[in-house]
Amino acid sequence: MVAIMAKPVEQTVYDDLVILAKSQASALGRLYELYYDRIFRFCVHRLFNRSAAEDVTSSVFLTVARTMRQFKGRTEQDFRSWLYTIAANQANAHIRKTLRRQRLMKNMVAARMEDSPEQGAWSSLDWPTLYAAVGQLKPEHQTLLTLRFFENMDYDEIARIVKARPATVRVTLHRILRRLEDVLRGDLGGDE
Amino acid sequence: MSEKENHFRKIVAGLRTDDELNPLHREQLRRQMMAAFEQACAVGDAQSDVAGAGVKPAPVRSIRVAWLAVAAAILIIAGVGAWMWLGSSRSPSGLERVRLAAESEPWMLAVATRYANGQSSTERHWCNFADKQTYVLTDDETVVAYDYGRGQVKLAYSPKIKTLVVSELPRTGPFGAESAYNFVASFAVFAARADAVLEESSVEHEGRTVWAYAIDANAPAYSIDGRPVARLRMTVLADPRTRRIVAANVEHQGTRGNVLAREEWAMSYPASGPASVYDLGVPRTARVFDTRQNYRGTPGDWSASLTPPPASGGFRLEPLQIELPRAKFSGTPQDGRTPNLERPRGGPRPPFLAPAGTVNLARGKPVSSSDPEPIAGSLDLITDGDKEAVEGGVVELGPRPQFITIDLQESCEIYAVVLWHHHRWPRSYHEVVVQVSDDRSFKRGVRTIFNNDADNTLGLGAGRDLTYTETYEGKLIDAKSVHGRYVRCYSNGNSHDELNHYTEVEVYGRPLKSIKSN
Repeated sequence: MVAIMAKPVEQTVYDDLVILAKSQASALGRLYELYYDRIFRFCVHRLFNRSAAEDVTSSVFLTVARTMRQFKGRTEQDFRSWLYTIAANQANAHIRKTLRRQRLMKNMVAARMEDSPEQGAWSSLDWPTLYAAVGQLKPEHQTLLTLRFFENMDYDEIARIVKARPATVRVTLHRILRRLEDVLRGDLGGDE
Repeated sequence: MSEKENHFRKIVAGLRTDDELNPLHREQLRRQMMAAFEQACAVGDAQSDVAGAGVKPAPVRSIRVAWLAVAAAILIIAGVGAWMWLGSSRSPSGLERVRLAAESEPWMLAVATRYANGQSSTERHWCNFADKQTYVLTDDETVVAYDYGRGQVKLAYSPKIKTLVVSELPRTGPFGAESAYNFVASFAVFAARADAVLEESSVEHEGRTVWAYAIDANAPAYSIDGRPVARLRMTVLADPRTRRIVAANVEHQGTRGNVLAREEWAMSYPASGPASVYDLGVPRTARVFDTRQNYRGTPGDWSASLTPPPASGGFRLEPLQIELPRAKFSGTPQDGRTPNLERPRGGPRPPFLAPAGTVNLARGKPVSSSDPEPIAGSLDLITDGDKEAVEGGVVELGPRPQFITIDLQESCEIYAVVLWHHHRWPRSYHEVVVQVSDDRSFKRGVRTIFNNDADNTLGLGAGRDLTYTETYEGKLIDAKSVHGRYVRCYSNGNSHDELNHYTEVEVYGRPLKSIKSN
């Protein structure tokens, strides 16, 4: 019962924090402490590069600092959705700016597939292989994968962040997984 | 979750990634972020200060003589013409006395607030019955004067082009030939239409019984925001004791019976009024364009064409000097959960003109409250002149409906009330009602000058004013020259919590004694 009661109280506190953070640096600092880890890890999973992840994380929080006063949301959920939207956009922008990295990834995955052509698409995966395959997808699709499987968000929350309907997110993710399987099997044309 | 998703999730869970946090980066970013935030706040505050100081030029609206002036004319007609025409045909004795009672006053001031598309605008009309002149001042400082007595001239000043345009009165108009701005005649024409329906009744208005005259008729050919007006419904209220008009409201209905715009009018009878357009804020250096003589030039050269403005007889409007506190946030974020919310103006508030000699009567005056022991602060903070939204400067009253009452210590003519609840955040306060009375208990002679209690939660009558978002500018309420000693402000919690707050209340007006002595 205590646990059940505690959640709304905590929720209200964080909602207040979001409102205060529009005018108080200390409140914004608390939100930063709450979300730094999550955003950094989100960036790592999207970019697979700690240095790039730190750069993008910096960019995300500096954007938040500059625009917090104009943020219209009033709850922690509003803030979280807004934060991940910024992070997803910044990560996608970073990926688009680093086409050379994508080409290298593509070559790397091609080499791995040639080494073990008989293996199933989902077997014996390691991070570089998976990430390189994910790198062949559209940045928006990469965002969906990361939010769903690395941030463990439900469809509703993802839908708020990418501004789509939950049903659309569900169907798109299903297609993305099928496409990813194709990519891992050797069709490295990507979907771009 | 699909089988494919489950499978992929297991794979991801088994993978290891280098996502170890870097405390150095975390701390450096924190410092950078705080600096960026402080800088953003400083820039925002500076912009707000500049806007508040009036340095940023206010957006200038085009001259607005259009349909509202016409509608205004209709209402003034409703005040005079109704009794002239109706008095002769339906109830000669009573209505005729009302007409005579209105016309026996030297001046009638009619303040019209128009609501359309979630925004409100105000016009003030001074009618001089003896000289058959009407002066109109809009809230964008446009001034229009109609002299339908000896002068037969129309003057229109636009602050946008800083020019006073002089022309002949229109000879045709929506209510018939040569009746466009002859209020009495045009209303008579309008009310005499075959489709006009008149209902007489007695209704409750601000705690007293008044006579009500409802007139419903097809509208003349005009449109609002491009949508044609099909029908016009007017209700004119008169005080049985003085037999004078005290209020009116107008609904402009579209073709499907929907309300395109509505206006609320409040009439008062001041002792004096403007003697020329220059008394309403038109600069004496404004260029003159006389379309009758095709004259363009300075007022000095033109003075031979029109009697120069006489010296003000104790009446001259000047912008209220309202000292504003620092803004605590930029813009006016909209709270989508609050219904009937006024849209942000999108710029600094235009100056409010009030007769010369107007002062803040509330400064230092005693304040009482329905909550005698505030949760925070003391009641004297409400009239101490400090409007900053800082801790220690705001009085916090308990939950549920609460009110404060300011005792001005003598009966005054009140032109505006400016109200700051708590402008640290963009909150909206519920059921805001402002009343003025000479009765300490607010049982008799109560005039309501603002009421956004749409569903009559407070039991003071349903109001039709819009809910608004708190800003550093405060809420300026046009008090329409009401008379009273006590000013009472109600509220019932806000969009954030159930509490009621007051930072400052200013009451701008003049003591009646000083007006009479002039």
